Amino acid sequence: MPGPNSLIWVAAVTLVIWIGIFAYCLALDRRVRKLEEER
Amino acid sequence: MTRDQVRTTLHWLLGIWLLAVIAAAFFYAPTARSFKGESARIVFFHVPQAWVAVLAFCVNLIASLRFLRRRELLDDARAAAAARLGLAFSVLATVTGSIFANVMWNSFWNWDPREVSIVILLVIYAAYFALRQAVADDERRAALSAAYAVLAFVTMPFLVFVVPRIYWSLHPDTIISSSGAIKSQMDPRMLKVLIASLVGFTGLFVWLYTLEVRVARVLSARRAQEV
Repeated sequence: MPGPNSLIWVAAVTLVIWIGIFAYCLALDRRVRKLEEER
Repeated sequence: MTRDQVRTTLHWLLGIWLLAVIAAAFFYAPTARSFKGESARIVFFHVPQAWVAVLAFCVNLIASLRFLRRRELLDDARAAAAARLGLAFSVLATVTGSIFANVMWNSFWNWDPREVSIVILLVIYAAYFALRQAVADDERRAALSAAYAVLAFVTMPFLVFVVPRIYWSLHPDTIISSSGAIKSQMDPRMLKVLIASLVGFTGLFVWLYTLEVRVARVLSARRAQEV
């Protein structure tokens, strides 16, 4: 496993953060769409 | 293709685009010579965050002016959504700036004009939400916060663009010159990644903003049904 200061480590953390934000936004988008359809 | 399908495709494209930006920021862009270690790579995230904050405050101004002209509560919701995102991206820009400052100058806070001016801007827009919380009536809250948003925006160009150029600053040279041109001394590969990141973050802002406005629309329709 790379050390905490290595570039790969920082890139991996950034990637995980982005994937988390992206998945959350997609889920939220789906939920809002459902609410709009119900309306 | 339906509107929803177009929207979903654009979201996935944005997801892939920003994945590519992250990969390029760490493995394609070269190491900047005049910066400590790999610290300059934060520019690919810090600058777009600051740009999105400015963009969000501009959208806040436009929506507030529209509210003052048309008196529609949806414009107020638009203004609030933009201000919320502007505040969030300002916080992110401040945090990433502090991390960079700690690497370069061994301190998270240096009383640099740019650091101080972004904190003043944060306080101004935080007060916008304090004002919104303090007024119960929807119409009155919308009118007061729209007027406040116009006044708040007046300070923004001064704090973001004028103050840091007047005083001596630790902050690296601005990437966009006073004439609006992108300075060419940056490595072309770095410049490509930075522009790609600016485009990606702008897309992310548009997505988050439209999500917030759609939620506001659903909520206002629900409230209207209840009444």
